[in-house]
Amino acid sequence: MTEHDTPIAPPCFPGLAENLIFFYAGYFSQNIINAIGDAVRLRMEQSEASSSVRRKIFSTFIEMAQNIVHYSSDALTPPDQATLEMRAGSVMVTHADGRFYILCANPVDAEFAEQLKPLLDPLRVMTTEQIKNAYRQTLRSSDSSENSKGSGLGFLTIAKDSSAPLEYGFTPAAHGMLMFTLKATI
Amino acid sequence: MEKFYLAATSNTPEVDFDFPQRRLSLKGESYPESAAAFYGDILTKTAEFLQTLDQEKIDVSVQLLYFNSSSTKMLFSFFEMLYQAAEAGNAVILDWYHDVDDETILEFGLELAEDFPSIEFHAHAVE
Repeated sequence: MTEHDTPIAPPCFPGLAENLIFFYAGYFSQNIINAIGDAVRLRMEQSEASSSVRRKIFSTFIEMAQNIVHYSSDALTPPDQATLEMRAGSVMVTHADGRFYILCANPVDAEFAEQLKPLLDPLRVMTTEQIKNAYRQTLRSSDSSENSKGSGLGFLTIAKDSSAPLEYGFTPAAHGMLMFTLKATI
Repeated sequence: MEKFYLAATSNTPEVDFDFPQRRLSLKGESYPESAAAFYGDILTKTAEFLQTLDQEKIDVSVQLLYFNSSSTKMLFSFFEMLYQAAEAGNAVILDWYHDVDDETILEFGLELAEDFPSIEFHAHAVE
């Protein structure tokens, strides 16, 4: 045994540390995603997860983090700016009872919340096979109107990698916004 | 048509489209902030290139380690274009590289092979 065999718990809030693999809260941009994506990958390489599970976690993390960059209502950059966006949210990866949980949170306005529900509700009741079929159909549809940044396929990608139904919720947040939370199980 | 080359970045693949030699290669990661912006130019140039071909052979090599959902959508459009070129009488050969443990990328390749049967598909597992 070397000292490196025992991972040192990252700095964290009491009670969360033992299950926590990764946590980031604050502004997200593509550059920040590149950097913390590297950290998530390295952190997963040190875990006991199979390479297949590690890939699913990384993919889910990227989809969630890019959703924050595209859709969080808390933006540092102007709303009409389509590239180099910077928006606020948080992403967490935890490990408990042999499963990995990836969670994200970001504020959205009520109108956007209403658009998210019909994307997410059907995924919660679909079988694995139905999710695969829906993914295939969405990939092949030339309907780019869904929303230009393609969150429909993003949620399907997360659902396809998940071993349990996605969980989501909205809770009241500051400035009349709703805090959107999404949880994936791998 | 001239060559089209983009060096890899942390979130975009190396794009090495040697149009004169009929060799198109994508290699690396693909999760740009906007896949539509990144792949827009690539798809336009590919469409222009394919229009110039008649009964030719095109070698396509794809070695992607990871691609996000919006890149997947753009890649699908890319392969759709190649399929149309194959249907029009060109020989399109697709070498599809995937990590030996990566069933997601292999599955996507197999789906392409099923959807676009006139593309000659070869999967290569990389250790």
